[in-house]
Amino acid sequence: MKLIITDIEDFEFQIEGEHKVINPQGNIKYCIGCFGCWAKTPGECVIHDGYQRTSLDMGLCDEMIIISECYYGTVSPFIKNVQDRAISYVQGDFILRNGEMHHKHRYDNKFQLSAYFYGEDITEEEKQTARDIIAGNAENFDAKLKEVLFFKSAEELRGLRL
Amino acid sequence: MTVALINASPKVKGSSSGILLGDLKEILGSRAEIEEICLRTGKITSEIKECLMKADTWVVAFPLYVDSLPAHLLNCLKQLERMKEKHASLSVYGIANCGFYEGNQAEPALNVLKNWCKKAGCAYGGSLGIGGGGAIAVSGNQKGNRGMRSSIYKAMKNFADTILKKECDMNKYATVAFPRFVYKLAAQHSWRTMIKSNGGKKKDLSRRLDR
Repeated sequence: MKLIITDIEDFEFQIEGEHKVINPQGNIKYCIGCFGCWAKTPGECVIHDGYQRTSLDMGLCDEMIIISECYYGTVSPFIKNVQDRAISYVQGDFILRNGEMHHKHRYDNKFQLSAYFYGEDITEEEKQTARDIIAGNAENFDAKLKEVLFFKSAEELRGLRL
Repeated sequence: MTVALINASPKVKGSSSGILLGDLKEILGSRAEIEEICLRTGKITSEIKECLMKADTWVVAFPLYVDSLPAHLLNCLKQLERMKEKHASLSVYGIANCGFYEGNQAEPALNVLKNWCKKAGCAYGGSLGIGGGGAIAVSGNQKGNRGMRSSIYKAMKNFADTILKKECDMNKYATVAFPRFVYKLAAQHSWRTMIKSNGGKKKDLSRRLDR
């Protein structure tokens, strides 16, 4: 299953195969840093606003595609909010991988990760930061980094086949 | 000089960011006027804006979330970017605390803050990336210069000097003053204690959701 997380509200892309799209629907609440998704209702965020089970979607996918406006070299607040609320894709416990500390996996899948950033004036520094952050995400999710691409507008992305 | 100590943890109390800013406040002492600000939601109120406007230096402390800044802080930065009238004289510093042991895992997130400074037209002065955030959160009743925060406190002293001189320095990294394997075991123990106090069992920590 392809999991597409995007901040584009009227999302109309050609997507091949089984997929799920998470985009702005209703009012997403911010993570409150309570760690309930690790130690109270493991795997699920304690805030029930429709975005509490994204970690399961991540656990079922074989490819994750992030389509986001670039904010200073990272994803937009909506995408970040979805990510912050889905940290229970991994467990609280730590493991060591490649000499660094990371979180232990909850699910068995290993997905491919791509990110498509859009924005009018993305600087070279912001592009490098975005590449570093997505590479960090791949490392922390134990995912395989596929590609990080940049576009001048959301409109320019519309021809993309996912 | 007036320094705004900005706690961008979403937690109402007991945040590692708050504890680290407390140490910085103690080190700065009477050498700077201090404005203390909490950014817990994604909204910059007129009251927050007023406090920020009084300061010529901002220190933004935040927890590392998914290799980056928490979503609400990104929203705040977007609103603050528009305060152009303030930024020409402003210096911005950051403190990122990671749950991981290695503080340098916060480097890309600190670069987001640096990129924001460039877009907003203010000076980025450098940051501290702190490892072992989980231990900091439980060390709030200890003095910063002793015990598990002592190594961080030392780095914080140099950081405070940079801030007071309004200098620009490279990002620096520090971690809690005990070995990584101890931190890993302590975290493991803490999750088991928490799940039990929430009425669950140890095995629930690895629970998988059903479709």
